[in-house]
Amino acid sequence: MDYNISMNTSSVVQSDCPEVRVPVSVFTTIGLVSLAENFLVVVAVIRNSNLHSPMYCFICSLAAFNTVASLTKTFETLMIAFADSGTLEKTGSSETKLDDIIDSLLCMSFVGSISSFLAIAVDRYITIFHALRYHNIMTMQRTRAVLAIIWSTCGLSAILMVRFFDSTFIMIYFVIFFLLSLAIICFLYIFIFMLARIHARKIASLPSSGGRRWQWRGSSMRGALTLTILVGTFVVCWAPFFLHLIIIMVCPTNPYCECYRSLFQLHMLLLMSHALIDPAIYAFRSAELRQTFRRMLLCSNWRQCV
Amino acid sequence: MSDLHNRSQTSARRGDYVWQYEYYDDEEPVSFEGLKAHRYSIVIGFWVGLAVFVIFMFFVLTLLTKTGAPHQENSDSAEKRQQPGSCMVDFTVSQQRNEKAFSRPLLMGPHSYFHFYIKEEDQAEGTQRNTGATGVGKTHKDGGAQQGTCSQNGGTSYSGMDDIEEDVEAAGGHPSLKEIMDESKTDRECASLSPFNIPNYVNMEPNSTGADDTEDESSIVLERQSYPRDVCCDIH
Repeated sequence: MDYNISMNTSSVVQSDCPEVRVPVSVFTTIGLVSLAENFLVVVAVIRNSNLHSPMYCFICSLAAFNTVASLTKTFETLMIAFADSGTLEKTGSSETKLDDIIDSLLCMSFVGSISSFLAIAVDRYITIFHALRYHNIMTMQRTRAVLAIIWSTCGLSAILMVRFFDSTFIMIYFVIFFLLSLAIICFLYIFIFMLARIHARKIASLPSSGGRRWQWRGSSMRGALTLTILVGTFVVCWAPFFLHLIIIMVCPTNPYCECYRSLFQLHMLLLMSHALIDPAIYAFRSAELRQTFRRMLLCSNWRQCV
Repeated sequence: MSDLHNRSQTSARRGDYVWQYEYYDDEEPVSFEGLKAHRYSIVIGFWVGLAVFVIFMFFVLTLLTKTGAPHQENSDSAEKRQQPGSCMVDFTVSQQRNEKAFSRPLLMGPHSYFHFYIKEEDQAEGTQRNTGATGVGKTHKDGGAQQGTCSQNGGTSYSGMDDIEEDVEAAGGHPSLKEIMDESKTDRECASLSPFNIPNYVNMEPNSTGADDTEDESSIVLERQSYPRDVCCDIH
């Protein structure tokens, strides 16, 4: 993500924690697959007018951010591969500018992904807790406004982040934003889950429900598993990167911290794989979207199919 | 002066621009001597902590399924306040219909919801899913024909989580707008029933994991006596 100008190649540091390098092919493969997936989700949501509802708009926005992230990351990986092999010119200003643009886009997509998760969680919360007023609260105009705000904020913060990356204030802001979003998401989903369980219990305890009690237990386990997967993948994929940022700020010279920092490429790989997993846990849960996909991919005549 | 000039030229010529993945400054080597703990202790500690967090969260969630939670009153009374008392009632006592009211605790207002919840849009699929339904709160199998639209709409309304798991059946035939409006209206009426039930239920809210059934049953009996009505199914 950054390049380092080293004036003297002979003073390369030999540390006990050598940097773990992930092969370019792995990055490229994951990048391309997640790019294809997320781009298809975006296209499917746009083409199918059934899916023009707030929930799908947020899922589409998430997929769009993931598309940008995958595209940027793949491009950057290829650029670095070319630069390493000597194909690219390593001159100063144009590569620096390109690198800055890549960093801005990556920051934008990271912040955007987190904002989209937040928006999806709030949307689901409103769906369940303000069910009857949902249509009034979450109109398409408000959805568009929210999405416009998210995209413009992300773009602005991306530019600011890259311009002022040296100042620790930006990194602190980034980390606090992540922790706050994580807390809100956990809270919303657990609240939703608790209410769901209460109602499930009520229904299961009806006299005629009989054998449903067992079914309810099964569905409770599934609910717990789903929620764990949702929040768990978010935390597992994003937290290592943010701990990396914290460590850069807090202990740049500590040897333990350096050993953690040496795994940077693995952490970036985790971030990329989150973009890969996202469609599976958000978008493909919807049968309508799956059907749209099938029609898009298997149908030869596009005009007839969608 | 010329020495300086020569030296700076040499260093500029020898300068290598390394395209690397590192943030930190390579010119300050980090000393690895005298480490007390293992080198990767932060890494190991972080991942162990993360695993513990995820597993802990999973166990807390499964425990919540057994004990329930005290937030129910707040959310339900909030729902009740939102109702302008628009419930259209038809005072027909029917056990199955009341159960159906229970099966729709939250609601089904807008049709965009249908994308989120389970929805059985055509009757053919609907009956199949009725018979094959596994989760609680799905349409009752008991009623059969008389269940009318409430059960046909199918949604398991209460649980976003279950609906996230199950397939959202908003696909297939794209229902006509009128159907959707009718369904929305029906569901809204169905939903408007539930908050009125719940305040009675709240008093009997069981706190123990134990004898849930008897307490629930008695509360349900109370409710049936006080709110013997069915909203949904007389519409069709």
